[in-house]
Amino acid sequence: MKWPFFITLLSGLTILNCGADEAKSSAKPPCCREALPLGAYTDQSLYQLDSKWTSDVSRELKLGVLRGRPQVLVMFFAQCEYACPRLVHNLKALESAMKVDLRQKVDFLLISFDSDRDTPEALRAYREKNKLGMANWTLLRGAGDDVRELAALLGINYVKDARGQFAHSNVVTVLNADGEIAYQHQGLEDGSLKIIEILERLTADAARPSGRKTSQ
Amino acid sequence: MILRRCIACAITVILSLPCAHAEKSDAFKSAIEIPAGVYRPLFRGENDPREIRIPRFFIDAHPVTNADFLEFVRANPKWRRSTVKRLFADDGYLRHWMDDLTCGDGRGDQPVTFVSWFAAKAFASWKGKRLPTTAEWERVAAAGFESADGSKEPRFVAEVGRWYSTPAPRTLPEVGQSKANFFGVYDLHGLIWEWTSDFNSAIVTGDARSDTGLERQLFCGAGSLGANDRTNFPAFMRYGFRSSLKAGYTIHNLGFRCANDP
Repeated sequence: MKWPFFITLLSGLTILNCGADEAKSSAKPPCCREALPLGAYTDQSLYQLDSKWTSDVSRELKLGVLRGRPQVLVMFFAQCEYACPRLVHNLKALESAMKVDLRQKVDFLLISFDSDRDTPEALRAYREKNKLGMANWTLLRGAGDDVRELAALLGINYVKDARGQFAHSNVVTVLNADGEIAYQHQGLEDGSLKIIEILERLTADAARPSGRKTSQ
Repeated sequence: MILRRCIACAITVILSLPCAHAEKSDAFKSAIEIPAGVYRPLFRGENDPREIRIPRFFIDAHPVTNADFLEFVRANPKWRRSTVKRLFADDGYLRHWMDDLTCGDGRGDQPVTFVSWFAAKAFASWKGKRLPTTAEWERVAAAGFESADGSKEPRFVAEVGRWYSTPAPRTLPEVGQSKANFFGVYDLHGLIWEWTSDFNSAIVTGDARSDTGLERQLFCGAGSLGANDRTNFPAFMRYGFRSSLKAGYTIHNLGFRCANDP
């Protein structure tokens, strides 16, 4: 009688503690993949950054581990009352609008402005509340200076107000498989069609082509 | 005769030193202590306080010079003109230098410009310092010649206004030529623009005179920001200038200075 419960618990732990277990769980978030041995980064690659980030599964990483597959990146914060829910909603709509084949070749990346309140636990709760798939969504937090630097690279301006809300640029960035900015969509209008077109082109020559092959 | 030849020889040696710079007194070179105080942000949200408290800190008396920056690139080859990664500086980086390690005769004491935010930040941390925040920089720059609030000194206001309405000269003057302000800090106005650590905290679009629909589209929460002091024209110019920058930009009259905590 106790076995099924034990197995459920074990697989739950595997998902949460993905770094420790290389079992071929299809629900391994993009941040937990092994970095690909692809040589030096290109001059324009954001993956040159040395800053350390923590994911909602409490994994410490450099952005370079995301190399190999295009990323759709949005900077946000979990307690945002205005635009972020719409930005994330747009991303989910974008995900559903993709053909299955494309969806398995693209990751989504949410990075928080809110170094104080967006702890890994808060990000995990955000993931669950918004039903962001484990296999292709990464949620990250970082130190204040590192967030400022990343935002600077993405051309995103932000400022924190007295209530702890952030006023910030609304930008969706598409990174190619090498971590270079391939496309940016400004504003809250839905830009899915153009983004999908860009992703179709980028995935044609990505180093980590399909979702299923990567769990090896 | 021999003496004259020696002098000529010495002059030749001095002139041929790359980025030679005259010795300045220690007081001039050192960092200046800025006591704890307040900064009144130009734009603030409806619920934001009118004043932000800034703890005591230190700021360089003058901007970083070409000679200072040369030391840095000597010690950090990855920040040399020919090796810097394009992600961290555009192709104008150190354009005014002769090559990687020669900034040119007579340029040593000029403020270094054509440096990106990333390069400025790297220099500061190499020195064990950091860039000042916008609030810190503005607090120091708000001081006049005789008091911590320059807006009450007509001579100061007129002098600052004159610089902001004059185009930058092709050849920049050396640092420290202007009159020091109340705190003993030089060149905050009248020489160059300066990077701040959070330059990208300016939330304004190119044509933002009021809360527009465009701003609401582009910036989350922007609709709630209002201007604090509509008469402080130079502060508006700095705000607009910062908001137009990208971190990799290098510009002929944009440099920086460092700050550090007590």
